[in-house]
Amino acid sequence: MIRVRGMRKSYRTGRVVNEVLHGVDLDIADGDMVSIVGPSGSGKSTLLHALGGLDRDYEGTIEVDGRDLHKLSDADLSDYRNRHVGFIFQAFNLLENMSCRDNVALPATFARGQDAPAKDKAYARAAELLTRVGLQDKILASPNTLSGGQKQRVAIARALFSRPKMMLCDEPTGNLDTKTGAAVVDLFRQLNAEDGITILIVTHDPRISALTHRTVRVEDGQLHENGETAALTKGDDADEDDAAEEADDDDDAQEASE
Amino acid sequence: MRSARLLAIVGRNLKRSRTHFLLASIGIIVGIATFFFFLSLGLGVRNVVLGKIFPLDKLEVIPKSLDVALGPVMLPTGSDIIDDAMVAKIKEIPGVETVYPKMKLTVPAVATGGKSLMGADIRAELPADGIDPDLVVGELKPGFEFKDWDDPANAATPVACQKDKECADDMYCGPPPMTREAADDDGKGTKLPKNEEKVCRHYIPILVSNHILELYNGTLRRAHNFPKLNPDSVLGFKFDVEIGDSFMGGTKDERIFERAMMVGFSDKAIALGVTMPIGYTRRLNVAFGAEDDAQRYHSVIVKVPIKDDVARVAHGVEQLDLLVEDSGAEQAALLIAVFMMVFGAVSAVIVGIAAVNIMHVFFMLVYERQRDIGIMRAVGASRGDIGKIILGEAAALGLLAGIAGVGLALAAGSGFDSISANYVPDFPYKPTTYFEYPWWLFASALAYSVGFCVLGAFLPARRAARMEPARVLSGQ
Repeated sequence: MIRVRGMRKSYRTGRVVNEVLHGVDLDIADGDMVSIVGPSGSGKSTLLHALGGLDRDYEGTIEVDGRDLHKLSDADLSDYRNRHVGFIFQAFNLLENMSCRDNVALPATFARGQDAPAKDKAYARAAELLTRVGLQDKILASPNTLSGGQKQRVAIARALFSRPKMMLCDEPTGNLDTKTGAAVVDLFRQLNAEDGITILIVTHDPRISALTHRTVRVEDGQLHENGETAALTKGDDADEDDAAEEADDDDDAQEASE
Repeated sequence: MRSARLLAIVGRNLKRSRTHFLLASIGIIVGIATFFFFLSLGLGVRNVVLGKIFPLDKLEVIPKSLDVALGPVMLPTGSDIIDDAMVAKIKEIPGVETVYPKMKLTVPAVATGGKSLMGADIRAELPADGIDPDLVVGELKPGFEFKDWDDPANAATPVACQKDKECADDMYCGPPPMTREAADDDGKGTKLPKNEEKVCRHYIPILVSNHILELYNGTLRRAHNFPKLNPDSVLGFKFDVEIGDSFMGGTKDERIFERAMMVGFSDKAIALGVTMPIGYTRRLNVAFGAEDDAQRYHSVIVKVPIKDDVARVAHGVEQLDLLVEDSGAEQAALLIAVFMMVFGAVSAVIVGIAAVNIMHVFFMLVYERQRDIGIMRAVGASRGDIGKIILGEAAALGLLAGIAGVGLALAAGSGFDSISANYVPDFPYKPTTYFEYPWWLFASALAYSVGFCVLGAFLPARRAARMEPARVLSGQ
């Protein structure tokens, strides 16, 4: 369960301060698949980065499963990114000096604790994921030798490595042709449906947003649901109702994953 | 992050940026080579100077005497003597391991011989002193003994003889010990036996300082076109000694004729002259009427095994109204220490400049790799992990550059030794190597190199660790 309250984010350029998010509120249930749309510079990626713990320079609170990301130490926030979040970027963001297998197993490098996978287990998991995304013949290949679609599939495999509860996708099809992009989105839907992974997709493509459960539009620093300026959350005085609805959502997600 | 994974990433990054790192490490290599070369040279030279020329673990203590100049007249004033009681007091000073009394032969003496070694006999004035034989136990080569054969308390019953061959090996047939014989008319010391009863005698065992052989090989032999001698060829060398004769006056009407044999080299031997067991010098001094000299030592060698105790022992000696003879060791040690410090500082400057260069290179690499850093942060790297990666690369670079620098210094040292051996003429104490390579010097050089590289990469590592991943990944 993701719960955003009063989130404000501004960028400073010299003496000019530009606030891109004006105190937004948002709730996302586990197992949901949400698209975030809006014009360039509206703050979609900013919201996504904050949800993923990549950016903590904001006001307000972001709670994920009851944990306020702002209050986590750097080590705990890193652990959150490592275990609970999978990122997919438009530019793929693979390390060019590593093989596909090493890229996919990269989260194991930074895993903490006793359950951090050993190298052989990490490689086995990487091979399994590359097979799942159809790149079983590219395990030892360099990312330089792959097409855009293949690179994005490697990135998806990397995002899945730690069995995250949530995948944050920042314009994942932006650098792909229509057919490849559709295949990637199909993969997201499959992961959402089969594995119950919460998926947030920032996109400009209405065909992709049409395939998600919910669409949230970011415009003028505010969030609008399905084109309407909407109260995307209920008031704090309705906590009991929230809890009941969350339980329903959980059940829905469970059913969806089954 | 586990160490093995950190090393794997560091290795990949080093390989990836090898050209940058190669260029950045040149300064470190040169600096470490300078550090290692000059420190090992300083240690090697100090080893020769303080180990052989001015042994620092031994103090020579002499009686305090004062000559007062009264216009044209020099008035010698009283002096404290060193006798057995004083030796006992010196032994009680904390830090003193052993005390070696030395007694000069106060009678003039002349040595004759050398044909078997140098092709011609030479006659030379023979300064001599005596030391306790126990002090050189274990120093002599097998087959040689430094022993007071004529000690009246332990001497064997004399065996009468007429010729050398009637005696055992390493003995000769001569007059009984301390036989005084009249000098001939021309004063050349021709032996005029007054006592017909010859006996088998041991040669007086003689120790010589290494200085003498070094001086001979380095200087004297060239002036006189004599062959070069090595220590082994000199051992067992026999020569005649005429006690009471001198080129410089003070000859006695009666003399004692002895034969002596070289039995070894020792740093406890007199610097110029020969050293025999102290019983011989005592008896010879008494035989020629210097009774007082037979009861006093002209100096004692005080062995101080721990160098840090030297100052305390020197102070204790001065408290006994004795003097510590200035051997030059302190000045030599100071000179070498200054030499090592100067070149240590030079190497520090070189490595310091190289560290600044390393810093620039790492700043550039951090800038180039900011997207990679963002990716690693996105998959779970903490700030500390990023810092460790950068510092790990710096440490690995330092280690490799340090090894290269040490290798360069070893090669330079080897070349230096080779040139010295092949092209530099012999000189006293010319060593086979000018360098000393203790294990801690290797460790220090590598630690120095790694330390400066890590220091140079510290600020870039901090910047990398503080990068905001969202900002980096969104290209802001």
